Amino acid sequence: MVVRQYNEELKYLDKINPYCWRIKKGFQPNMNVEGIFYVNNTLEKLMFDELRNACRPGMTGGFLPGVKQIANVAALPGIVGRSVGLPDVHSGYGFAIGNMAAFDMADPKSVVSPGGVGFDINCGVRLLRTNLHEKDVLPIKEQLAQSLFDHIPVGVGSKGIIPMNARDLEEALEMGMDWSLREGYVWAEDKEHCEEYGRMLNADPSKVSLRAKKRGLPQLGTLGAGNHYAEIQVVDEIYDKYAASKMGIERLGQVCVMIHSGSRGFGHQVATDALVQMEKAMKRDNIEVNDRQLACARINSIEGQDYLKAMSAAANFAWVNRSSMTFLTRQAFAKQFRMAPDDLDMHVIYDVSHNIAKIEEHVVDGKLKTLLVHRKGSTRAFPPHHPLIPVDYQVTGQPVLIGGTMGTCSYVLTGTHQGMTETFGSTCHGAGRALSRAKSRRNIDYKDVLNKLETMGISIRVASPKLVMEEAPESYKNVTDVVNTCHGAGISKKTVKLRPIAVIKG
Amino acid sequence: MFKLKLTALGHPNPDEFNCDDEKEYRSVILWLEDQKIRHYKIEDRENLRNIDSADWNIAYENYQKDLVSPVINGSLLEQLNWLLSYAVRLEYADNVEKYKSAKVEQPKKAAPNVVSSNPLDNLDFSSPAFKAGVERVCTLAGIGPHLDPKVRLAALAKVLKSNPHPHPTSLDSSIVQQPTDVLKLLFLQDIRDLQTKINEALVAVQTVTADPRTDTKLGKVGR
Repeated sequence: MVVRQYNEELKYLDKINPYCWRIKKGFQPNMNVEGIFYVNNTLEKLMFDELRNACRPGMTGGFLPGVKQIANVAALPGIVGRSVGLPDVHSGYGFAIGNMAAFDMADPKSVVSPGGVGFDINCGVRLLRTNLHEKDVLPIKEQLAQSLFDHIPVGVGSKGIIPMNARDLEEALEMGMDWSLREGYVWAEDKEHCEEYGRMLNADPSKVSLRAKKRGLPQLGTLGAGNHYAEIQVVDEIYDKYAASKMGIERLGQVCVMIHSGSRGFGHQVATDALVQMEKAMKRDNIEVNDRQLACARINSIEGQDYLKAMSAAANFAWVNRSSMTFLTRQAFAKQFRMAPDDLDMHVIYDVSHNIAKIEEHVVDGKLKTLLVHRKGSTRAFPPHHPLIPVDYQVTGQPVLIGGTMGTCSYVLTGTHQGMTETFGSTCHGAGRALSRAKSRRNIDYKDVLNKLETMGISIRVASPKLVMEEAPESYKNVTDVVNTCHGAGISKKTVKLRPIAVIKG
Repeated sequence: MFKLKLTALGHPNPDEFNCDDEKEYRSVILWLEDQKIRHYKIEDRENLRNIDSADWNIAYENYQKDLVSPVINGSLLEQLNWLLSYAVRLEYADNVEKYKSAKVEQPKKAAPNVVSSNPLDNLDFSSPAFKAGVERVCTLAGIGPHLDPKVRLAALAKVLKSNPHPHPTSLDSSIVQQPTDVLKLLFLQDIRDLQTKINEALVAVQTVTADPRTDTKLGKVGR
């Protein structure tokens, strides 16, 4: 990292409009393209505080601030357009979380980087709707929360209740949601309303280590720990009536279920394995990067291809995982209300991925190009009439599901044409951390967190209450700030706001 | 060319007529007026009779104007074709009784007559209308000039393939937008039908393959 005075650093940053800053070349060495990030006044302050702290003497060796990470990504070989920071951006491994970057597939020097996908491969959010009203749920809220907690195992080391053997896992890794469909865990309409139809076609389970498979097998159908959750939510506000009705959201107080989970230990192991391979490939191909954490390999190299195939298998794992939890959620509701999930209209509204790299076609400088798009802590947000979004959302644009933090609101947005041109059809993914996990543990008492949720009328079931402060709203940026910035900047459009009434967490 | 019509009108030499020869072309026009159309009085046909004169074209244009020819701006061939058809019509009108009873024997066809349903197959690439159309659409997409309109059309196809959203420079949006919207909605309806059929097929397969099971004994809550 270049060490400069804070005031010197600011000379490389340029406010283009109320929601958007430009990072000029030279902010970090060897930048191939410029960087850009989206913030409003509140988030801007957080962003610059982070940079100022890093510029204090003696602060070398700690976390790199998000802005620096965005600029380091702009220095990777083969990057096109700009390195984009979304409003929820915060420091991550190599790439900041909330950073997207696209690499030209036609350039032989272009790279793929596991740090640009993240360790929880295909972590994502799925939203189910119901035809229930808040008043139908309130009397049995506690029982329903308990029932969900009993059906969906949570926490570190949890094991799922869907019986699977090694052969089932191999098939699931290759088939993704098609496996869940074949086995009858999900409905045909679920697949239709899932990004990529719930299956990465280039997945190759033979590129995944035995260790990853051993870690993954018992974890299918479990929520995991960290920021993952299943929430019962009610519709709090509708901003775009037409788009909401296309999603089957018709009225305030309507009950929905949000599932936020990923590929568990499986994806983590795939990423770890790939990083080891890539360090070798970097030496061999003389790939220079600004940060050791930005380990990468040329897309067309063996290591690059192997990673993409294994990553796709992990993505499929995550879709099967969310599908299994969809099944379990429907069962829990069906038992409590003694009605079939069909009659409760428990359809999947949409399922988004926010840690993934995908091959997509975009128009860059007026030319159609095939790109490898890394989205880490960033959600795809394709505009109306894009051929890759479901027919039901062709007129409204792709639904974008933004999970809040424990006890705060969540949002549904839709993709826009402006987002397609400015950010390769990408937007934010959630609140984004403001405090590190360690800092949260030091500063916040878990009892206060639980009491606060209780006073807000939110039922909560957690596996490890003593870690709950890591996920307290105080540890995160305000999701409303994040969403309003995306809306104000025009890279996605607010449709619905959801408020939690029950939370299941690891 | 025009052999059938010339024969029907009793032209002395329908087989040999070469419409690309300027002199023969002019002779046929004069013959049509003298023998068949007889729109002018004999003494007024003087200008048309001067088929070697440089002013013949002016006379010809006036002649067409007087006849109110609809293809006065068309190619020479189109103009001649219309005049021939007009003459045939007059001939028929003079002798309705005689021609009314005429019967044409249909020759037996060896193969069924295949009519192409694709209107593009019947395009006349040399017609001025085609050229004008290509000119218009190429200007919109910013394709440079070329002598052969087919080359320009091919260039346009290439541009549209590599850049699916060309931004038209100036365009009356309401005229283009409304039909585009209608087309999009019709397309969506088709896709919705297709997706529903796909879903139905998947459900049909599920009746054979599906066997979702759970085993709560396997479950374990973590820490």
